[in-house]
Amino acid sequence: MKVKFLPNLAQHFLFVILALALWEWGARTGVIDQSFVGSPQGIAYFTLNNFFNVRLWGDLGWTMLSVSLSFALGSAAAIAMGLAFVTWPRFEAFCDPYVSALNVLPRIAMVPLFILWFGLGIGSKIAMGFSLTFFIVLSSTVAGMRGVSQDHVTLTRTLGATSQQLFFWVTLPGAVPVLFSGLRLGLIYAFLGVVGAEVIASERGLGQQLSYLASTFAIDGVWSLLFDLALVGVLLMKLMNWLERRLLHWQ
Amino acid sequence: MINIQNLNLSFDGVNNVLSAIEFNLRSGEFVAIAGPSGCGKTTLLNLCAGLVQVPDGQKITVAGQAPALGSPQVAYMLARDSLFPWLTAIENAAFGLKVRGLDAAEATDRASEMLKRVGLGGYENTLPKALSHGMRQRVALARTFAMPSPLLLMDEPFGALDAQTKLQLQDMLLQLCQEHERSVLFVTHDLAEAVALADRVIIMSSRPGRVIADVKVPLSRPRSIRQLQTNDQFHHTYAEVWRHLEEGWTHHEG
Repeated sequence: MKVKFLPNLAQHFLFVILALALWEWGARTGVIDQSFVGSPQGIAYFTLNNFFNVRLWGDLGWTMLSVSLSFALGSAAAIAMGLAFVTWPRFEAFCDPYVSALNVLPRIAMVPLFILWFGLGIGSKIAMGFSLTFFIVLSSTVAGMRGVSQDHVTLTRTLGATSQQLFFWVTLPGAVPVLFSGLRLGLIYAFLGVVGAEVIASERGLGQQLSYLASTFAIDGVWSLLFDLALVGVLLMKLMNWLERRLLHWQ
Repeated sequence: MINIQNLNLSFDGVNNVLSAIEFNLRSGEFVAIAGPSGCGKTTLLNLCAGLVQVPDGQKITVAGQAPALGSPQVAYMLARDSLFPWLTAIENAAFGLKVRGLDAAEATDRASEMLKRVGLGGYENTLPKALSHGMRQRVALARTFAMPSPLLLMDEPFGALDAQTKLQLQDMLLQLCQEHERSVLFVTHDLAEAVALADRVIIMSSRPGRVIADVKVPLSRPRSIRQLQTNDQFHHTYAEVWRHLEEGWTHHEG
């Protein structure tokens, strides 16, 4: 006999309501300690108040500005470097040990240095986001350009294409699918890097607000901001998906 | 169109890839090169296209000049359709003209004409992913014939197609060559295809590639591939070509 399940959306709705109700019940009866885990009602309250707070939007803008700048600068630098690697393999071979060493270094450990060099403002956040985005986009740029169909290159060469034509008409569009998956990951990591650096030390930003709330035991606020960050992350992904569909409609 | 005299080639200076190759391709002629895989027939074609550097002191002339990449005299076609998946059928068909600097509107006009000629009118704005293998290779034919290059270098252009589609496209190629008066150097490992299409079949031995035989195909033009299947001369020539190819094997083993 076939068991009938509720529609997907209803299942999730039911699950979340039940979990929140259990949490709220636990918090009210004292089964779980509210000062450590907060309560759904408190979180809802904070979120609603915070929504009308100018500071939230200012901090959000600050974080997004850092993310955008570090992503843009990191990707542009990585694509240029990737192009240089593909054009001059000997240069790539020379750089390889340094790139590999920097790539395995836990970049978040460089935040103290970045703060020393670039201050508590946006500079150190961009440096952090950049350092993560750069290596991800670099490897996908190289892989994408190396993976371009040799048939396409051969055909275009027999037609007598200039190296510029070959790059803009064949190599670049051919590399876009792989490059794009790197850009998508690069954006997530720029977000991670920026917020991570803000949590450690910052004048402004969502990460800074989160860190402040945690240090003052405003647990409901911490949850609320985590929820905001997740929402921003999802929206960034949606944006990338939309862009990908536009750019790669031919796939 | 092509003149090769006593050509020897080795990539590492030790193992010969091609040995004492000698042949002529006259204007308007359709010459097929057949031979076992690895015999250097594609290398020979790539030498003519300028994709492989001609060694010093070797004599090859293509359309009266040393082979060079991008010569407007030459159009090259590969085994796989090598259409760009991000371009529509008409953009693909116009690609060769575009690279060679023709005005965009004129290139599109010519490409559109050629697409109609290969039976793909109405598919101008279709992306390659939505076309069958046979249709894609027809777009590649349109791209090749849209260019006015008098010499075509073809590397097993129908090698990846199923038998029926192959016959259709062979017929189409013959018609197009007839209409556009092209000289063709056609590499294939399919002997029936070589005999059906060409005026002469050059048979090469396995590595190092030598010319074993240069067989004249006594079939008149215009030809129809389907009618050839019941033509005695076709089968006779096919058997002769086969015999030469087998000779190549025994020589090699001996």
